[in-house]
Amino acid sequence: MTPTVGPAIDDDLWSAVGDPTRRRMLDLLLSGGAGTATSLSEQLPVTRQAVAKHLGVLDRVGLVHATPYGREKRYHVDDEQFARAVAQLSAVGATWDARLQRIKRIAEAIERSQDDTDNENDNEKR
Amino acid sequence: MEYASIEREIHVQASPEVVFEVVSRPEHLKEWWPDDISLDSSAPGATGELIWGDDANPRANVVAMTVVESDPPRRFAFRWTHAIDEEAEVGNSLLVVFELTPTDTGTSLRMTETGFREMGWEAAVLEAAYVDHVQGWDHFIPRLRTYADRLVASS
Repeated sequence: MTPTVGPAIDDDLWSAVGDPTRRRMLDLLLSGGAGTATSLSEQLPVTRQAVAKHLGVLDRVGLVHATPYGREKRYHVDDEQFARAVAQLSAVGATWDARLQRIKRIAEAIERSQDDTDNENDNEKR
Repeated sequence: MEYASIEREIHVQASPEVVFEVVSRPEHLKEWWPDDISLDSSAPGATGELIWGDDANPRANVVAMTVVESDPPRRFAFRWTHAIDEEAEVGNSLLVVFELTPTDTGTSLRMTETGFREMGWEAAVLEAAYVDHVQGWDHFIPRLRTYADRLVASS
């Protein structure tokens, strides 16, 4: 890991949310507030053991935090770390659509301004 | 399902020459992408920084960008996301390629970004999952409108 601060460095965070099951779990935790391995496994097509393992991965990168809950642990999403993951995403792979729309609008504005300039020059000649 | 690349194609009602300038020149890059940029030229081999700030630090996120290919007005390619002190290569950076094709009314602009798998990422998958959560681009829209208005007004 390099010391540079930037969207490129957080490989652990990226791979943690790169798994579809873990993303689905994050979605459930975000919409439901908190959950245990048992409650999450009831809403997902995977075993409680598999969910517990995924929660461990998310916990290690700080995306979720656990508090004791009876014989289980109750997990909730760390808002700050989640925002960080989303911010990295917006800076890296995603939102090319938005960028391309901006490219389009800037280029078309320039094109229009050049056309206007051409017209003015034509008028001066007349 | 895993994606190895992001591919997009849009039509722009402007000549390839204009579109090429917008995708390649630092002063335009800054208007559609990072908060700030340090890149001396758009020639192959040119290296600079893409800079994003936050409330506390104007250089909160800084990554390198290296121009790989420049063939105006047809093709512009660069690598990015490598650390500032690293040479851009396969495995430490993403490769973005813009391909421009003239049409009757403007330019067909094709963008391909590759290198996710080589970096061990599944960013393209992330994109699909999290696009709903990302609201951060809203502030670019007013900025763009101002920029576009200024260009038109200065003509």
